[in-house]
Amino acid sequence: MRITLGGVDAIAELDERDAPETTRWLKGILPIERQAVHSMENGREVYVVLDGAQRVPDENQTIYQTVGDLFVYYKPAIFVQPEWPRDVRDYLVVGFVYERDSAIRGMSGALATNLVGRITEGLDGLAHEAPRMRREGFGKMKISLAS
Amino acid sequence: MRKMLFELNGTKAVAEMLEDVVPKTCDAVWKILPVEGMSIHANWASREIMLHLAGDKILRLPAEGQLRRTTAPGDIVYFWRSPQMSRGKQLAYGAQFQRELSEFAIFYGEPAGGGLAAEDPPRTGRDSNLQVSTLFARFIDAPAEFLRKCEEIRHRGLQKLVVTRLEG
Repeated sequence: MRITLGGVDAIAELDERDAPETTRWLKGILPIERQAVHSMENGREVYVVLDGAQRVPDENQTIYQTVGDLFVYYKPAIFVQPEWPRDVRDYLVVGFVYERDSAIRGMSGALATNLVGRITEGLDGLAHEAPRMRREGFGKMKISLAS
Repeated sequence: MRKMLFELNGTKAVAEMLEDVVPKTCDAVWKILPVEGMSIHANWASREIMLHLAGDKILRLPAEGQLRRTTAPGDIVYFWRSPQMSRGKQLAYGAQFQRELSEFAIFYGEPAGGGLAAEDPPRTGRDSNLQVSTLFARFIDAPAEFLRKCEEIRHRGLQKLVVTRLEG
């Protein structure tokens, strides 16, 4: 997969063996281009919110995310919008951790995420682009299948 | 009670100091006002913006008042982090804040202080002197437009924040 954040590109390798259903679903919705959002609760995480009613099954989950992990999970809605629709409990997101001192959290502790892949190229570029966007404003993130 | 005025991108909010609870911290903050700088949004503590104190405005204060576990929307906290307590690379911060950090932590919405910052003992200062976190003021008038401008910093980047004494 190719991840384009602002002016940089990175490549992620999908873990189709351990997360077969989630990676199949993810490949099926690509390409996507959404507003990138920086985490305000998890450290150095950048994500996009996905739409659609389909529930993604729990698969290949971890609460110990590390730098370069690419994951899919349901983020509590309160961390996404200040005035979130009160009937919405969470949003499906796809995101990554670009620097240490990060861990995905829910409202009351660690949150398990579906680990769907690893960023294998361009992580350093993301680790500079994300802080730049924190200072200058966030743009879009595009995720597509790498040719 | 002494009051402070916060001006952010054309909007204003008023906070009242908790000088009956933490008088030394309030005195020290009052003395350095006015303070201005580019505020940045938190990435550990949820709905919080930070104003880093630089140059002759930097404060190195001891802890004062009760230790608190929770933070509420509207709380304004004096925060200091020692140079030896780095949080990895701080590429989003200015060069002078890469190690030691002194700031106003302004909690503007819900959840305030949640997320990773709420459950990381080394960051609470409970068992070490690596950081100081003192609640010293609360908003008494923070219009919705001001709060919206705080949230916008998360998405649009740094914004100038000016904090002054509100007298008379």
